[in-house]
Amino acid sequence: MRALGAALVALLPVAAGAADVVAIRGGRIVTVSGPVIEKGTVVIAGGKIAAVGPSVEVPAGATVIDATGRTVYPGLIDGLTTLGLTEIGSVPGSVDTTETGDVNPHAEAWIAVNPHSELLPVARANGITAALAAPAGGLVSGQSALLRLAGTTPEELTVKTPVAMHMVYPTGRPAFDFARVFEEPELKTFEERQKERQRTQEKDLKRLGHLLEEAKAYGAALAAARAGKIAAPRVDLPMEALAPVARGEVPVVMRVDAEEDIRSAVKFAEEHGLRLIVAGGLEAWRVADLLKQKDVAVLVNVDRLPRRESDPYDAAYANAAALHRAGVRFAIVSDDASQSRNLPYEAAMARAYGLPPEAALRAITLSPAEIFGVADRMGAIAPGRNADLFVATGDIMDHRTSVTRVLIGGQEQSLDTRHTRLYEEFKKRP
Amino acid sequence: MSAPILVAIVGGTILTVGPLGTIEKGTVLIRDGKIAAVGRDVQVPAGGTVIDATGRFVMPGIIDAHSHTAVEEGVNECTESVTAEVRVADVIDHHDVAIYRELAGGVTTVNVLHGSCNTIGGQNAVLKLRWGKGPEELLFKEAPRGIKFALGENVKRSNFRAPGPPRYPATRMGVEVVLREHFREAQAYQREWEEYEKKLKAAKGPLVAPRKNLRLEVLKDVLEGKVQVHAHCYRADEILMLIRVADEFGFKVRTFQHVLEGYKVASEIARHGAGASTFSDWWAYKMEAYDAIPYNAAIMAAHGVKVSMNSDSDELARRLYWEAAKAMKYGGVSEAEALRMVTINPAWQLGVENRVGSLEIGKDADVAIFSQHPFAPDTRVETTLVDGVVYFDRARDLAARTASPAQAGGSR
Repeated sequence: MRALGAALVALLPVAAGAADVVAIRGGRIVTVSGPVIEKGTVVIAGGKIAAVGPSVEVPAGATVIDATGRTVYPGLIDGLTTLGLTEIGSVPGSVDTTETGDVNPHAEAWIAVNPHSELLPVARANGITAALAAPAGGLVSGQSALLRLAGTTPEELTVKTPVAMHMVYPTGRPAFDFARVFEEPELKTFEERQKERQRTQEKDLKRLGHLLEEAKAYGAALAAARAGKIAAPRVDLPMEALAPVARGEVPVVMRVDAEEDIRSAVKFAEEHGLRLIVAGGLEAWRVADLLKQKDVAVLVNVDRLPRRESDPYDAAYANAAALHRAGVRFAIVSDDASQSRNLPYEAAMARAYGLPPEAALRAITLSPAEIFGVADRMGAIAPGRNADLFVATGDIMDHRTSVTRVLIGGQEQSLDTRHTRLYEEFKKRP
Repeated sequence: MSAPILVAIVGGTILTVGPLGTIEKGTVLIRDGKIAAVGRDVQVPAGGTVIDATGRFVMPGIIDAHSHTAVEEGVNECTESVTAEVRVADVIDHHDVAIYRELAGGVTTVNVLHGSCNTIGGQNAVLKLRWGKGPEELLFKEAPRGIKFALGENVKRSNFRAPGPPRYPATRMGVEVVLREHFREAQAYQREWEEYEKKLKAAKGPLVAPRKNLRLEVLKDVLEGKVQVHAHCYRADEILMLIRVADEFGFKVRTFQHVLEGYKVASEIARHGAGASTFSDWWAYKMEAYDAIPYNAAIMAAHGVKVSMNSDSDELARRLYWEAAKAMKYGGVSEAEALRMVTINPAWQLGVENRVGSLEIGKDADVAIFSQHPFAPDTRVETTLVDGVVYFDRARDLAARTASPAQAGGSR
């Protein structure tokens, strides 16, 4: 990721002066990584959590936030979004999710993230402090980045990039195209359609397989050239980006929903040595044991309709609980941008249909942090982790709860949004 | 005479959404599909079915004032800008599994609207979710007739290209013209018929009736207040535009649908006497939704507008109880007001408030029973009744899954 690593290091405070010491006192602290502290204190220094416990001293000179009667949570992590890449869905000039062509491994989400998007503060105001910004569409969509929702430049927002290479598992079904909705469909039998779908899928999978093999070879050639054994290969940015994916170093997030497609995606990933993460996973509950066995993580969104008419009405709501029972690693995600603020309510629905409350909270905090390899920094209230946390009036999965304070890297964030500004302006209008 | 069918829901916390408010450990007694008694000390007669709701919450069946359930591929007659003659009631697919899934979210009545493809769309059908019954039996027969209007981007076709020549209108100016032009025609048509009927009364010589026009016939009925207008809209200016047109022609808009900038003109909506059927918090999916705010419902309610939370989606329809709860978070409406937003308010918007929307004596026994308070994060619907008949029961649903291993899954 070129110079970005250095830029991020430069951002970290060198030493903690009293000025940036904050203590959140008197609240119910939901640490996620450890037990709930019914009444305790969190001390923050240098943007990190310095101490947390029921009887932690407030350092002299610290800024004190009184959280008596309130609940303190680690910042929520939305593990699949297009935040920063889209402003108004229907306005192409404001959307940077999908590059031309269908193979774009060298497209990097963090490059196009707009730190001034109105959508970011809206998500943040409901406790979302970090989000995976991912490109979408095509066959190989591009690389995602984990963002913290604070800062004014892409560098300041980006916590980690690339997190994963995003792909859309080829199903052989034509992608939905609004422009073709009005076209008269071709008359074909079910069998003809099935055959056509299979042919297209096989072709696409073969193509993806070849791309990965080529990338592996390209990576080997690059390494050999670096060692001075051969001349440098011709510059090929897509191959350069895909090589670490083909080597299994960078995970692949594969958007896939149907049972048979998840099964073949798992097989495909195994054959090509990919580290697979399933996105969507509408029928993951049907293959939970396989996902456990192959250690495939799932980014699941809850509020969806079942895939088949004959499915239980609550199949999607109960999906996360089934994964939890089988021991599959999973995160609950919004898979959206403007609706990211409703992430805790997706977790609530999973809770209503069998996911234990602690597991539901973990699925929007520590679990995505683990899946993205940043659990040492994020996802829990524990010493040494980034001070990304928020204070709420109650259970964050309760729709009636309000968020009263948000801190990212120990810095208090404004809760003003486009929405609160318009509210203030118009609630006074007679 | 056959014996009455009695059902008693006992032991639950009853959120009546009526004058009785909340009743702890109460009973709802149902006789022949109607509510016969509600209260703490209701005698349960022998011989009826008893539903034990101890520890549970009992509320009126949820009403969705904006749905396209059971009309897949029959939603939009897009070919012209005015298609008042088409009727959603003619294309109801009673096998649509969405009906059952929505019952499982506590929904009992839905307003199935024509799409937002054209300025004056087709006529709606209000349905009771009597799952398993035929299309005719799903119709909420007592509901007044209604029609869909639509303003803004969808009508202008801003966000897609349809095949064939471009269709008028392409601007909000044109949308207003389409409305005014057609209501002028409808007025002329109305006069033609009035004159004919006058002559008919005088009975002077043989008379030829004016030619029936199915389209203008419906618009004439709008002018005469026989058909309620449900108008899809987003921006404040187009809301005011429709109010002006309605005032000019002397009809009322019954509901503004979506009405995402309603908060900017809440007093004008209140003065017109229209209801507002909105999304809790959708925004930014198109230009006209960029100023949408989740405080919309609260601001309009504070101005005295009867507000409902709608779904416009077979998926969102299943969790409208939580959509209502969001009005408490954004703008601080009371719990009672939030509950009204998915019960009696949408009932009023559809003109069926005397039949459904609250648990009161004499009303239809449309009831949703929740495991916890409907706004709580662990809550889910356990049982749903329409006209006193259980159409969804979670225990029964789970038992059926065990009986049929192919359908195992979902929650256990």
